[in-house]
Amino acid sequence: MKARNGGLLILAVVLVVGSFLIGSRQKGAEFTGADSQAMETIAVLQQDYQPWFGFIWEPPPEIASGLFALQAALGAGVLGYYLGFRRGQAQARRKRPDAGD
Amino acid sequence: MHITEGFLPPLHAAVWTAVALPFIVVSACRVNRLMRDQPQTKLLLAAAGAFAFMISALKLPSVTGSCSHATGTGLGAALFGPSAMALLGTLVLLFQALLLAHGGITTLGANVFSMAIVGPWIAYAVLRGTQRLGAPLALSVFLAAMLGNWATYLTTAGQLALAFPDPASGIAGSFLKFAGVFAPTQLPLAVVEGLLTVVIVNFLREYSGEELRSLKFPPQTLATETRL
Repeated sequence: MKARNGGLLILAVVLVVGSFLIGSRQKGAEFTGADSQAMETIAVLQQDYQPWFGFIWEPPPEIASGLFALQAALGAGVLGYYLGFRRGQAQARRKRPDAGD
Repeated sequence: MHITEGFLPPLHAAVWTAVALPFIVVSACRVNRLMRDQPQTKLLLAAAGAFAFMISALKLPSVTGSCSHATGTGLGAALFGPSAMALLGTLVLLFQALLLAHGGITTLGANVFSMAIVGPWIAYAVLRGTQRLGAPLALSVFLAAMLGNWATYLTTAGQLALAFPDPASGIAGSFLKFAGVFAPTQLPLAVVEGLLTVVIVNFLREYSGEELRSLKFPPQTLATETRL
């Protein structure tokens, strides 16, 4: 499991880095979000479209990056807690021969 | 796949909200029942939600020179069934709409429909389908997560096309334009999401056997359909 997962993770990193390198060579590559590109496409298709509702609250850019990091950290924290907890449990079970299972 | 606040005409926004709402209610009931009947899986459900939370915050670069993010809903759909994910996905989207100015409240229904309903259902269908055909579990999980991701983005393209048909080529032409923005960007990212989902599932099969058994995962190839 360990070796296989290690391999898969390396493959994922290679894909991300590779995508970045290939993407950097595209003309005008600024790595803007595909979501905002789609919204720009709307402006092309229907020039007079005006958003009829604005954000209730928009964080300043620095705060936004912090909140994005917080989102990832919370997710990774809970996930990591779960995985570590279960791994520890499984190992403790293996050490006790009388526990069966 | 986040349609920005205000970028769907009011009628479309209302219809997608109405479509998404029953799924969210059913999902809340399903999660509630799961907590009551199988409380031992509570922590795993939190972990599956956390995976989606984490991975949808990471904007990854793509070959097109733009960037986008994975959805992370395939894992939960594979483990808990697609209907459980509508609630978790809604929570993720709500957080992003309220705190990050990413997505929106008026477009929440449409975004929930693509990310928390269509994506998980496609992922689940792919998992069951490929398992029935006898595919190895890792391959099934990989395809489920990857295709669930694509399905989410194609759904968004469809929603935008319905709202903004091309003056010359209509809805179909508009769909191709929006899909042309998303699909190439999403291609490598969906593969990354598939790989990460397989990594987590491998780990779970090693250390979380009891929970997986109580969730009847992996699905038996010829078992009767009991869950859903």
